[in-house]
Amino acid sequence: MKMIRAIVRPEAADRVTEGLAEAGFFSLTKISVFGRGKQKGITVGTTHYDELPKTMIMVVVEDKSVDEVVKVVKYKAYTGNIGDGKIFVSTVDDAYTVRTGVKGL
Amino acid sequence: MKEVIAIIRPKKVEPTKDALEKLGFPSVTAVQVLGRGRQRGIAGEVSIDIRPELLAKGKSAGMKYIPKRLITIVVPDSEVDSVVSTIIKINQTAQIGDGKIFISSIDDAIRVRTNEEGESAIM
Repeated sequence: MKMIRAIVRPEAADRVTEGLAEAGFFSLTKISVFGRGKQKGITVGTTHYDELPKTMIMVVVEDKSVDEVVKVVKYKAYTGNIGDGKIFVSTVDDAYTVRTGVKGL
Repeated sequence: MKEVIAIIRPKKVEPTKDALEKLGFPSVTAVQVLGRGRQRGIAGEVSIDIRPELLAKGKSAGMKYIPKRLITIVVPDSEVDSVVSTIIKINQTAQIGDGKIFISSIDDAIRVRTNEEGESAIM
């Protein structure tokens, strides 16, 4: 299993989640986060914003679905401007459903 | 070391923390999150009164997101099973929406104050 953490623009989050639902990945967790990227925030006029609001979308899927999820997120979160976000993929060893206690997704 | 990520009902955070403390793991990180599971969000899930006409409208599509708490706790490999079974025992309500638990590996942990590394940093 893999955990995919996508940090995207807040306004793109719903587009991404709807796209994932269409592709068959309904389960996800959404977290509001603040962060900065390679460009160290942005400067608007004379004000410098060091940390910008972003939304982190967390999805856990089977190994074979990783490419598809990444493709959907990349397509739906893309604007072509600086600040579109990053996607991180990490390994999940085990998953349990609390209600049933059953191992697996 | 393993990281146990549990996404549970907001109301169950306190009992879960108490149970984990009894087990010897007082340290947790909790984050407010929004999410949905395999059932795509159920309108009856939140414990507030929703107007019947809204509920009838929402039933077909479901709610977009349901408020949850994400609890992260880093434990030694040997304790993963007892922590997971405790979380499952406390959070079971037999209704849909009890949550999920994910377990992934942590390479290293460092206590900032003392520079301790590895398992002594998390105990």
